[in-house]
Amino acid sequence: MRLLVLLWSLGPLLWQLRTSLLRPEALVAPLLEGNPWTLANYQLVLSGDPPFWRYLGNSTLVALATTLLTLLLAVPCAYGLQQQRGLLRWGVGLGLVGAAMFPTVLLFLALLEIARRFGLANDLLALSLPYAGLSLPLAVLLLRAAFADLPVELEDAARLEGLDLGQRLRHVLLPLLGPALASTGILVFLASWNEYAIALTWISRNDLLTLPIAIARIGGGSVFTIPYGAFAAATVLGSLPLLLLVLVAQRPIVSGLTRGAVKG
Amino acid sequence: MKARAASLLLMAPALLLLAAVFVYPLLRYGWLSFQASSVLTGLEPVPNGGANWGRLLDDARFWTDAFQTLRFAVCSVALELAGGLGLALLLHRPLRGRGTLRALTLLPWALPTTVMALGWRWILNDPHGPLNAAIRSLGGSSYGFLSTPATTWFFVVLADVWKTLPFVALLLLAGLQTIPEDLEEALRLEGAGRLQILRRLTLPLLVPYLTLALLFRLAQALGVFDLIQVLSGGGPAGSTESLALYAYLNAMRFLDFGYAATVMLATFLLLLVLLGGGWLLWRRERAA
Repeated sequence: MRLLVLLWSLGPLLWQLRTSLLRPEALVAPLLEGNPWTLANYQLVLSGDPPFWRYLGNSTLVALATTLLTLLLAVPCAYGLQQQRGLLRWGVGLGLVGAAMFPTVLLFLALLEIARRFGLANDLLALSLPYAGLSLPLAVLLLRAAFADLPVELEDAARLEGLDLGQRLRHVLLPLLGPALASTGILVFLASWNEYAIALTWISRNDLLTLPIAIARIGGGSVFTIPYGAFAAATVLGSLPLLLLVLVAQRPIVSGLTRGAVKG
Repeated sequence: MKARAASLLLMAPALLLLAAVFVYPLLRYGWLSFQASSVLTGLEPVPNGGANWGRLLDDARFWTDAFQTLRFAVCSVALELAGGLGLALLLHRPLRGRGTLRALTLLPWALPTTVMALGWRWILNDPHGPLNAAIRSLGGSSYGFLSTPATTWFFVVLADVWKTLPFVALLLLAGLQTIPEDLEEALRLEGAGRLQILRRLTLPLLVPYLTLALLFRLAQALGVFDLIQVLSGGGPAGSTESLALYAYLNAMRFLDFGYAATVMLATFLLLLVLLGGGWLLWRRERAA
């Protein structure tokens, strides 16, 4: 049973790994004479113009900037929302749930207009603005749930000690939110690393493409001309960071989704 | 009172960005949908009454795509819920290496959709993909999986299920972890079998989680875009085109922004009616 599950989840990925290590002739003639294995696909991808690690770097930059910006905005917002009562709290909460479910691709046209008007296209750091906006609903909901889990007495005690809001957040509340911040950050990082529709329309310069767009461009021609060996090598290289992240951060990802589900 | 005002201030930056990203586009589409803004008008908006909306009502392609999107969403989400439940039950059992197993099954969800969409195209390639190689080695002949509507549709659904099933499984796993083990034990002592426990205890307690997964996934599936754009391009002959892809093509290929905005707003409204209606129905059902 376990094997079956692993085969289902990893099979398509393992096939990419195999493809990436084959000589192009071996892809079309399965019974080729001689040694079919090669690293040439990786050399091709890494020596391209721009080299493949450039896209990895672009995606990492956008995802890191987005994560930072999102947390910076979401923490005070979640705290403030937790303090609210009545209609405002209910309305904002409902709006956040609705926004978290919204299919983001429907927003790209208006966002593209904004990018053009303010000259934000082809700017990786500017791309993290809409990304942070798209990630905020989930981030605020997760962090509000985490704030709600903290005992009220804790903050009251800190207030009596004469700590102001900034000090209370920094020294009392945030240290206790570590796990929630980590899992929220990872979910935001993954979402912005993988985003497609907005990156596709905001970025046109070849050296600034994020990884999903760069890889989709490799397949941009007709079905018959896709260099599958090189593409598979790109897939493997692009998947490795995510594989590592998921293996290392399995626990916070699961607990993050769990918390979101319980409170959602 | 003062504290509450201060906390409003804390929320302001996030709420402003949210308004810019979610509210402004919808307002803008509302305005644009009453403008002609295409190559014909030099890409400048010119008011055209309700012409876009009239065109939408008569646009067979829009309604075909709406039907196709709905069919895709219903089928793939149903499969994801069923498969996700099975996977969650498996991952919930105490197994050796459970953490690693969870991480590895989660991997398809963590990878960019476009990357694996191209991966599926290679697997389905005619005649060099592994699937066709396997068919040939069994004595059959190669098949163009992505050149007939039925098989293309099937594999679009399969690829979506492959990618998002782990996500659903995780949500349900969260629900399973809230069920106290004593309850299960008590039922077992009463002589209930595994299927009975599932039906009488586990499923009823999972309903909120199943609902959450259903709503969330349905909303996402009704907005499906990148998977279809890369895997099938909406083809063959538009048979897998989704509403979001149609809206994208209107904007970026036909350069008809007025109509693209109309399609996007209409898609959003359809979504609202479907999910909101479903939600209300579910609430009434539960109250009754």
